[in-house]
Amino acid sequence: MTDSNKIIIDIENIAKIYKMGFEIVHALRKVSLKIRQNEYLAIIGPSGSGKSTLMNILGCLDTPTLGNYHFKEKDVNFMDDNDVAEIRNQEIGFVFQTFNLLARSTAAKNVELPLVYGGVTASERKQRAEQTLINVGLGDRMDHKPNELSGGQRQRVAVARALVTNPSIILADEPTGNLDTKTGVEIMKLFNDLWEKGNTIIVVTHEESVAKHAHRIIRLRDGLIECDEVNDNPAHDFEIKEIIES
Amino acid sequence: MFNELGETIKIAFDAIRTAKLRSMLASLGVVIGISFVILMGWILTGLDNAMQDTFDMIGTDMLYIDKHNWAGGSNWKEMRQRKDITLNQAKDFCERIESAEIAVPVIRTRRSQIKYKGQAYQASFIGTVSEHSIISSKNIASGRFFTGFEDNLSANVMVIGHKIAETVFPNEEPIGKIIKIKGRKLEIIGVMKKQGTMMMDFVDLQCYVPIKKFLSIYGRDRSFEIAVKAGSEEKLDEVRDEAQGLFREIRNLKPWAKDDFSINETKAFEEMVKSVRTTVWSIGLLMTGLSFIVGIIGIINIMFVSVTERTKEIGVRKAVGAKKRSIWLQFIIESAVLCFSGALISLIMCSVLVFAVATILPQSVPEVSFLSPTLSYELLITASLVSIFVGIVAGLIPAVRAANMDPVIAIRSD
Ligand SMILES: Nc1ncnc2c1ncn2[C@@H]1O[C@H](COP(=O)(O)OP(=O)(O)OP(=O)(O)O)[C@@H](O)[C@H]1O
Ligand SMILES: [Mg+2]
Repeated sequence: MTDSNKIIIDIENIAKIYKMGFEIVHALRKVSLKIRQNEYLAIIGPSGSGKSTLMNILGCLDTPTLGNYHFKEKDVNFMDDNDVAEIRNQEIGFVFQTFNLLARSTAAKNVELPLVYGGVTASERKQRAEQTLINVGLGDRMDHKPNELSGGQRQRVAVARALVTNPSIILADEPTGNLDTKTGVEIMKLFNDLWEKGNTIIVVTHEESVAKHAHRIIRLRDGLIECDEVNDNPAHDFEIKEIIES
Repeated sequence: MFNELGETIKIAFDAIRTAKLRSMLASLGVVIGISFVILMGWILTGLDNAMQDTFDMIGTDMLYIDKHNWAGGSNWKEMRQRKDITLNQAKDFCERIESAEIAVPVIRTRRSQIKYKGQAYQASFIGTVSEHSIISSKNIASGRFFTGFEDNLSANVMVIGHKIAETVFPNEEPIGKIIKIKGRKLEIIGVMKKQGTMMMDFVDLQCYVPIKKFLSIYGRDRSFEIAVKAGSEEKLDEVRDEAQGLFREIRNLKPWAKDDFSINETKAFEEMVKSVRTTVWSIGLLMTGLSFIVGIIGIINIMFVSVTERTKEIGVRKAVGAKKRSIWLQFIIESAVLCFSGALISLIMCSVLVFAVATILPQSVPEVSFLSPTLSYELLITASLVSIFVGIVAGLIPAVRAANMDPVIAIRSD
């Protein structure tokens, strides 16, 4: 990648404060972070350390109480609702911990969803959604509703939905949290493939085994970055996946 | 935007389909409201048509000088004390009026018996002169009006009303047939078009005979009328003024005396129909208003339920890039589709009801025969538009609430 050095996410002294009656919760205290194109980054930390909060801010889903956020050199604080919605739609693929699929819609319809708001024609939507589902290995489950799919399959639908718009950044909040090891590994293989294709991957987890696939690991504790280190030796243990496929 | 719209409408139908019973109950108020709109429009259309028919029949450029005020008027006692209009007065008037296109004397009976092949029927008679054809020729369905020659001869000819032709000669050609009136034989030479309406359905029982024939059958002991054709609506004022002055002179009225005759015109009926119209309107509007208030509250309520139920869905949609206006539009459309479905139910119900009422009721209440058995396209389109408008209004607040939801909070809810 020629522009792999380009900084796409730049947050500076981000804080997120929740007021619960008289109690004040500092979900994030003072977090600064620069993320470059085609990085593979894991955010790890114990429960309540602010991982999801950070993720939501990075994904332009939430706004920080304090601090600056530049997304591709544009100040997110000065964007209106429509611009932010457009970034979510065009630039970011979000994979949620709890899948967050529409229960009444088929896998294909779920995957189409971002394209609906991207103004893509119905026929192109269908074709792209199907292709993406095939890419994540669900070509034979297009017309299944979420409750007719296994947990791993649902997560792959969620991944397909994140990928269908061809976003440069994939944000995944505990993508394997609800899955058994085997399916978890399948998902991690998928992310690795995406990274190899040039995407920027940010994965939130509280498991070391998941984090070790990343090339950079950020440890969060009590809303602060505890350490930000390079992983020189990313894991490549996707053999189980290969066995399943053959 | 367009690609999104199609999908949004689909979503709305899906949402309503998954909660059929609830949606139906919620739209009940709207169903009733729309039904009122339709039924009100139906009755008013019927009234308007009836009024128009009546005007066309009377002629909007016509004045009728009569002892009585046709629209009832305030003082019928005074009217009854008025002196009859004599044939000479009428003839005098007809000769002297200058501004009118034509004026003819007219005399009528109430119900009278006619006989054909031993069978008796009810009819009413109008005696007039051949010039009456200038007024009535456009209302002749077949045959002709009698001529001046027949008039002078007091010929045994008559022109029959539509209803008479229908009941006496259901399967025959009436023209050329002989009918008996009080022992006299009259030949049918013409048949009138159907002109009867709500207030005027007796006109189809009317038969025209030469005035001399009429007098020889019924005698002259009754008040005449004068039918005055102004020629155009614009000339009405001028003709009315002249007619009033002229007839006062003929009746020998002192300058200070009140008119002892009435000049009738379609305006009199306009007033009558207007008051019926106003009644229908105000009752209808009240009912419609009430049911729409109930209906809108129902829809607002159900839309809030729908928004709350689908909080997570809203969060997901926003997370994948739905803009505020997309979410807003989704719920507005859902609300509009919900009300429109209600309107469709109303349309079907009302169509059946209207058909049943318009075909069955006039058999016992002939006065309502002005009601049409079908609903007009304009009415159907109006009702649909009203329902969509109501849906948009009712959906507004819930849709704004949905659009303004915080995606993070929404997506976390269950
Ligand atoms: N909407 C909210 N209102 C109040 N406090 C909140 C809210 N969301 C998060 N918090 C608080 O912020 C802190 C960080 O929460 P966050 O969800 O980011 O943690 P996390 O690291 O993702 O934890 P987990 O691993 O359990 O998902 C927690 O203490 C939480 O109680
Ligand atoms: Mg979390």
